Amino acid sequence: MMLNTVLPILLFAALALAVIGAMKRFAMWRRGRAAQVDWIGGLLAMPRRYMVDLHHVVARDKYIANTHVATAGGFVLAAVLAILVHGLGLHNRILGFTLLVATGLMFVGALFVAKRRLNPPARLSKGPWMRLPKSLLAFSASLFIATLPVAGILPAGFGGWLLAAILLLGIAWGVSELFFGMTWGGPMKHAFAGALHLAWHRRAERFGGGRSTGLKALDLDDPQTPLGVEKPKDFTWNQLLGFDACVQCGKCEAACPAFAAGQPLNPKKLIQDMVVGLAGGTDAKFAGSPYPGKKIGEHSGAPHLPIVSLDGKALVDAETLWSCTTCRACVEECPMMIEHVDAIVDMRRHLTLEKGATPNKGAEVLENLIATDNPGGFAPGGRLNWAADLDLPLMRDKQEADVLFWVGDGAFDMRNQRTLRALVKVLKAANVDFAVLGLEERDSGDVARRLGDEATFQQLAKRNISTLAQYRFNTIVSADPHSFHVLKNEYGAFGGDYSVLHHSTYIDQLISSGKLNLSQHQGASVTYHDPCYLGRYNGEYEAPRSVLKAIGIEVKEMQRSGFRSRCCGGGGGAPITDIPGKQRIPDMRMVDIKETGAEIVAVGCPQCTAMLEGVVEPRPQIKDIAELVAEALVETTATRPAQREAVEAV
Amino acid sequence: MSDIIRRDPRAEWIARNRLHPLHSSMQSSVTRWLSAAGVTRKNPHAVGFIGPNGIKRIDRSGAQQSSGSKRSSPTAEKQLPLHIVEQPAFHICVVPDMVGGRLSSHDKDLLGLAHKLAGTEGAVVAVVFAEHKENGFDTAGVDRILHFTDAVFDGYSPEQRVQALVRVENQLEPRHWLLPDSRNGGGELGRRLAASLSERPATRVWQVADEQSIGRAGAGQQDLHRPAPRLILASAECAEPISETRHQAQPMQLQDAINPSRSRIKDLGAVAVDPALIPMAEAEFILSGGNGVSDWSLFHQAAETLGATEGASRVAVDDGFMPRNRQVGATGTWVTARVYLAVGISGAIQHLQGIGACDKVIAVNMDANCDMVKRADLSVIGDSAAILQALIARIDAHRQGGIRDAA
Amino acid sequence: MQPSPMDTTALNVVALVSIGAHPTSGRPRRAEQDARAVELGLRLAGEAMQVVHAGDARQEALRGYLGMGIKQLHVLEQPAQADVLHALSDYLLDSDAQLILTGSQAETGEGSGMLPYLLAEQLGWPIVVGLAEVERIDHGIAHVLQALPRGQRRRLQVQMPFIASVDNAAPLARQSAFGPARRGELTVTAANVCPDQLFKEGQLQPARPRPKRLKVIKAKTGAERMKAATAKASGGGGQVLKDCSPTEGAEAIFKLLMDEGVLR
Repeated sequence: MMLNTVLPILLFAALALAVIGAMKRFAMWRRGRAAQVDWIGGLLAMPRRYMVDLHHVVARDKYIANTHVATAGGFVLAAVLAILVHGLGLHNRILGFTLLVATGLMFVGALFVAKRRLNPPARLSKGPWMRLPKSLLAFSASLFIATLPVAGILPAGFGGWLLAAILLLGIAWGVSELFFGMTWGGPMKHAFAGALHLAWHRRAERFGGGRSTGLKALDLDDPQTPLGVEKPKDFTWNQLLGFDACVQCGKCEAACPAFAAGQPLNPKKLIQDMVVGLAGGTDAKFAGSPYPGKKIGEHSGAPHLPIVSLDGKALVDAETLWSCTTCRACVEECPMMIEHVDAIVDMRRHLTLEKGATPNKGAEVLENLIATDNPGGFAPGGRLNWAADLDLPLMRDKQEADVLFWVGDGAFDMRNQRTLRALVKVLKAANVDFAVLGLEERDSGDVARRLGDEATFQQLAKRNISTLAQYRFNTIVSADPHSFHVLKNEYGAFGGDYSVLHHSTYIDQLISSGKLNLSQHQGASVTYHDPCYLGRYNGEYEAPRSVLKAIGIEVKEMQRSGFRSRCCGGGGGAPITDIPGKQRIPDMRMVDIKETGAEIVAVGCPQCTAMLEGVVEPRPQIKDIAELVAEALVETTATRPAQREAVEAV
Repeated sequence: MSDIIRRDPRAEWIARNRLHPLHSSMQSSVTRWLSAAGVTRKNPHAVGFIGPNGIKRIDRSGAQQSSGSKRSSPTAEKQLPLHIVEQPAFHICVVPDMVGGRLSSHDKDLLGLAHKLAGTEGAVVAVVFAEHKENGFDTAGVDRILHFTDAVFDGYSPEQRVQALVRVENQLEPRHWLLPDSRNGGGELGRRLAASLSERPATRVWQVADEQSIGRAGAGQQDLHRPAPRLILASAECAEPISETRHQAQPMQLQDAINPSRSRIKDLGAVAVDPALIPMAEAEFILSGGNGVSDWSLFHQAAETLGATEGASRVAVDDGFMPRNRQVGATGTWVTARVYLAVGISGAIQHLQGIGACDKVIAVNMDANCDMVKRADLSVIGDSAAILQALIARIDAHRQGGIRDAA
Repeated sequence: MQPSPMDTTALNVVALVSIGAHPTSGRPRRAEQDARAVELGLRLAGEAMQVVHAGDARQEALRGYLGMGIKQLHVLEQPAQADVLHALSDYLLDSDAQLILTGSQAETGEGSGMLPYLLAEQLGWPIVVGLAEVERIDHGIAHVLQALPRGQRRRLQVQMPFIASVDNAAPLARQSAFGPARRGELTVTAANVCPDQLFKEGQLQPARPRPKRLKVIKAKTGAERMKAATAKASGGGGQVLKDCSPTEGAEAIFKLLMDEGVLR
């Protein structure tokens, strides 16, 4: 019988081709630099990562989650059984029935895939991806019919050679898309590369509910280590693998603030460009949305060619890389857990450290950081001027304190000084044993690092760490989520491990331990804007809300809040590199805020404050959580004795 | 007229006599003064004016200036005492910048310093090149004037001028050379002279006292204290200008004519620089637009008419009306313009920081309560387009008038 | 001005650089104007330009110049507070340089700005002060633009070889990158040391702030002095014209502009 002889040949030929393709693909990834991975452990952990962690992200969209479970589950089962049943000829009825169920499941899933593709949203890539549901349907339907005789539902040889030929054609189409298409660069590549990417992910800590958001350090002591990524092969090989895992679902594109603002960045296209780079070729075949304002088909690259050309066109334009606010919305949304921000910062590192091509005010800011330890170039001696009348305890005098209050560079900014003073008021009201570093504090290095200047970052970090090492304290509290993130997650690589809290978390703790006597907030309706570096980077969504609740504020949530919060546009040095777009990110965020009808927007970050206050009035007022809490403070007995003394003295 | 206060008994009598026909004209127009006891005194009768209906009106807007002029005879030009140096014991040579053919305030400060060094014995010699329009050398403190009018000194001619100064050096052997340490030529000429005379100058000097000079050193973070050398390049405000004496300003001649050799640098003349292309940080006069500007083509036209360099607030740049390199403020460019005309800018703190170094700020704004108006030396509240149009018309009228006057 | 067709890459350009000090922190850095001189040199001669420093080769801030993309920086070893003039002029006499670029004045030490003039005197070359741009060079004659205050420019013709000092009107120096700075080479040569006489008699002190000149009150009588002393200090809100016609407003602005002399 024709089917029984040709089908095994077809299946095994496709499998063999798939294996060859897989080896070629693997060799392509391995052009990247070495990376430390847990080869076996990763593979063993992969199914769990796939089914739990990845599903977690996918399940935010129930429709596609269920569709994917049906299609992918059906396919994996069908593929294994097809090899057993049709490939090895195990014509067992039970196996046959199971295979029928699997293909049926897959068929149903594929129908839903096809439905999504009827009128696909802009974020989805078209091109070969439009073909995929048809391939899935052809494969599952053909295999279903071809298996009916095995299950004994139809007599063997039913339909004659014509049906057999049609079925063979259908299965051949299916296996070419689903078996070797998987390793030869078709849409199904995502399954193969994705599975291995999950196994050998560069941030294995992210799985199992963990969080890994700190940038990885560059080894500056070894002159052989490339300073960032110039060519695709300068990525570590598992980063290249990660790019290859992209399913082009465009969730990142939909979340990206720069893309929405019309700046020339589209995270999906960026990852696809990296795939072009690792395989060699042009971006002409890309079937999704372009970088706003840039035509498709004009850029090309290869593993050994520079990604960015400063005076011409290469794979990616520099302004694309500088548009990113490092808000991590793309990473948060990515069902394949691809690390876009890492890649962007890696490429920025090359531009800054090797080419000296940080755009606009970037060079000046970095020079200021080197020479004055703050990005504004202010005299370092003025770091504590904002608190001249507050009589802040200095670590140098106290040597020891419960809380080290990390002031941050907001100390030089007149607006942020109001926040800082409010926070000091709160700390004093709660009788917290705290101290500041004063003039010994330096910029945390956040901006330098996001601008790609790893050298300056490490210099600042090492000096801060050696300063901090002189003193004893239990917790660092900062009103700046950027400093908070860097101190908490990025100093560890240089030997600085601290317990660090954002001021909202700390105030929340003070409130729940009853140390603050608070009245209720008066009047105005309030919404809350989640700072990226507090929320997505560090998972703190609750504390700010519970602080606001404690002062009687019911937060009018924005549509995009929590992990979906839209960036204010102030992160990653974006206001410094200032890549023009069609509109401004803070203006878009202000529209989100205005939709809630709130009169006050509570924030927890000096950058957000500055960006949102930069929106032209009339607009809601912007207040830091510390300011709102300070306003609600009830003068407690702690201050009364002083007053009485004063009266007596008179 | 001397400053001695003299009583006029008749005038006092008229002032007391309300029935005298001249009574009202003898009333002092002072409505508010400080009494000897330190108490503010007011004369309510002197406030206001008689309106057209014969009713007394008081205008509290401040627009009304008190009309009664103080009774005083037209002040004659004060004749300051003449300072005469007959036989100078030594000379102090000053080479003023003569920006625009006139002594600049920097030059006058320098002449003041020269007199401190000259005392009563020495003579201050001003060495002036090319044609000038100054006629106040005497009151600025010039005892002797050495005027080189040769054509070789026209335009930019530092090498020839140094040769002339070397002649002066040989003939007068001045005790000190004083030049303004400015970008208007003095700084350069002084250093060229120093190199040529092998004198080590004191530069950026802001004080000379007791044979010691103090000048800024390095990037301005340090002062260099040293015995005052012969050649001093002094900053502006190094001393008070002469104000209480007149000087001879007697012309001098060099004994032998100078014959400067050919220069290796040739002046091909000034290059026309479009005010729009001048870097903002350097521009002298900036017209800056913000959110309140509705008609940008009118704004550009105004900038052209005014001959001003264009600037913008952050919002105007964000909205795409102006390029980013035109943004003024702490996050843009810190400007040093002498006159800053802000149209429709409410004055965010960053913006106000950026114009901190501006001398005169003019605000045109709809909102009288905005921070820019608080900062401004002159604010006009109203529609910016109408005011800009009126300003363009006013300047055009002035220019045409100027042409007519010249013709 | 059209970009010059001539090829200036064959030009032998030497930039003299010093250690600067950041204006607010005072920390060592590449000096602002010297870096602009290097930038101008790089634009004229590319990487073939030479960069020379007379001083201490161990100073890390020197790498700031290497970071601009220069492969090599020559250091003429000199102790602190030495007069580097002779070391430099000896070096330059042997260097067959055609154009020497320097900043206008050092950011540390005396900062008198005399060095380029003294070098010009010693070498017998012309000096151009405030070079903003080299327009073209033909037959040993350079056409250059000189920067004047307030953004103005003057065109000069000058004989090669010459010395030029640059100030803040010259093109902004490119960013100094870590990679090239780390790779760049500092070649150290010993040079004649000539102590500076200045610091025997003079001394450096932290800068004293100079008060803004006050309006001088030449009061002859006690009453006048009293009046001057009690007069409201100037500043604190200017004139505000409300409810006036645009013409009146324009007239007021016009008057102020005329008084300030910015209208031409």
